[in-house]
Amino acid sequence: MARVLLPVILIIMAATGECVWFNLPRSGTKCVSEEIHNNVVVVGDYVVVSDDHLHPTPTISSQVTSPYGNILHHMDTVTHGQFVFTSTESGQYLSCFWADRPGEGGALSVNIDWKTGIAAKEWESVARKEKIEGVELELRKLEGAVEAIHDNLLYLKRREAEMRGVSETTNSRVAWYSIYSLGICILASCAQLWYLTRFFQKKKLI
Amino acid sequence: MFHTILIIVFMSCLLISNVVGIRFVIDREECLSITVDYEGDTVYVSFVVIKAESPWHFTEDGVDLVIKGPSGDRVFDMHDKTSQKHDFIAHKKGLYHFCFTNKSPYHETIDFDVHVGHFAYHDQHAKDEHFKPLFDLIAKLEEALYNIQFEQHWLQAENDRQAVVNEKMGKRAVHKALIESAALIGASVLQVYLLQRLFERKLGLSRV
Repeated sequence: MARVLLPVILIIMAATGECVWFNLPRSGTKCVSEEIHNNVVVVGDYVVVSDDHLHPTPTISSQVTSPYGNILHHMDTVTHGQFVFTSTESGQYLSCFWADRPGEGGALSVNIDWKTGIAAKEWESVARKEKIEGVELELRKLEGAVEAIHDNLLYLKRREAEMRGVSETTNSRVAWYSIYSLGICILASCAQLWYLTRFFQKKKLI
Repeated sequence: MFHTILIIVFMSCLLISNVVGIRFVIDREECLSITVDYEGDTVYVSFVVIKAESPWHFTEDGVDLVIKGPSGDRVFDMHDKTSQKHDFIAHKKGLYHFCFTNKSPYHETIDFDVHVGHFAYHDQHAKDEHFKPLFDLIAKLEEALYNIQFEQHWLQAENDRQAVVNEKMGKRAVHKALIESAALIGASVLQVYLLQRLFERKLGLSRV
């Protein structure tokens, strides 16, 4: 009965959200990160499902950290949770999960549903607020998606320009430092010659 | 009235797409699962190894990916790739597993993206001939836009990988120059010292 129920529950829960399942080991932390720009709405949902169908369901703790180390969300001993925030810094956002009672046996599956930017927008409230429906709503969604793509492309362009800068710095560094190394080599050999000449002259060999 | 409701209901379930993009650190093996709700959906999957946490990595780091279907059958696999894009048609609905294996002894950060695209064929719903081509076209447009977003995510991950490589290269150039200079100076001092000792000994023997 339980074996039939679990896939059904999984399918039902998955049909209500776009999500990824991963296994959480009994001890240790599992972290999932994403690169997020500034000023982006992020909505995350996580649910725990135990493979052994234990009652009560094992609980996990979760923590979401910003790139500069601020803790944006922290929950202990829960089986499901949700976090919503608007990013104020651009960088890598980390969400970590760990099991509460390590060593109790059985692997856990955690379902995380992470929506950023345009995917996190609540279209139902927009439709209700602006009283649009049907084709207009779909086209509005597509317009949002196109704007998101455009912003992404601009961001990529900026990153590529930064990288080009780093590449060119590296190129000039390699060139200059090779010349410096060669210079040091020549200086060292000249110093050697001078020192040895002085030494042999002192010993009256030359 | 009923017609409008029908169209609204139809439009709201026109296209159901799953787009996911996450980064995680892999130690030895990591498995992720995705549900595919409808048969015949195209599943696009891409992954990029962002960085390998080794101080000086000499070998090409790569991971293996094995895609398994709901009944455990092997759909696709690829070995030792640092970046790959792949798409396949899901013939069965259910839970698809994507398992990564890391062969190198170091941890690697992987950016994984999966996108399930689905066309809704609602022949039995829209009775009005005016709307059906419009819905199909909008559905196609939406699918194309999600595809673009998927490609962009992969491109961004590739750029991040290149950024890491470039920064490492810059640091390596500086370290190499410093170590080389130190080695040259050390070698020349050693040479002078050895020659001095040699001649002093020889002179000492011959003069006495």
